[in-house]
Amino acid sequence: MKTKIAELRKKIGMTQEELAERAGVTRQTIISLETGRYNPSLLLAHKITQALGQKRIEEVFEIK
Amino acid sequence: MIGKPEWFSRRKYGGWGLVPKTWQGWVYTLLIVAPIIVLQAFVVNTATLILLGIWMIVVTADFIHIMAHVAKDEREILHEAIAERNALWAIIAVLAMGVAFQVSHSVASGTGATVDPVILTAIFTGLIVKAVTNIYLDKKD
Repeated sequence: MKTKIAELRKKIGMTQEELAERAGVTRQTIISLETGRYNPSLLLAHKITQALGQKRIEEVFEIK
Repeated sequence: MIGKPEWFSRRKYGGWGLVPKTWQGWVYTLLIVAPIIVLQAFVVNTATLILLGIWMIVVTADFIHIMAHVAKDEREILHEAIAERNALWAIIAVLAMGVAFQVSHSVASGTGATVDPVILTAIFTGLIVKAVTNIYLDKKD
């Protein structure tokens, strides 16, 4: 899975810690998501999308 | 309950259990858990033994409560499940080798096939727990 998490996060000036707190996960999980090493559940993908201020999951995650 | 789950994180690299992650966790460990180890050396009569027993029950109940409520995200839950599964496979392999060794050793020494009942109980208990867990999970979701 390809993600735009890092790009969108930096665009709104959010740190990994802040995103982790908003999504209810650890910073390590955010790092794994950003580097594409971990594929999130639909629920977590939804939480990340919301935390980044996006409306659609497809705007943040893309299935390769 | 005495301790709070947010004071601890799960032990990942050094066995099972909890590791203090905040100063409150360290205070809890020093004031609540450490006295058990120290008090064992001073058990001189039945009264202190009963006191120590009660204290151990309270701490064990608190420990179970903390363990069950330590915050984990979905990635950590997945990692923990895989690590626990691998650990269980290793334990089962050792138990199976133990059974094979005991059977072959007892047969070779002419005493008939005998196996330590503790090993068989461990395997049988694991079997039951696995079946019950699967039944519960199948019904749950």
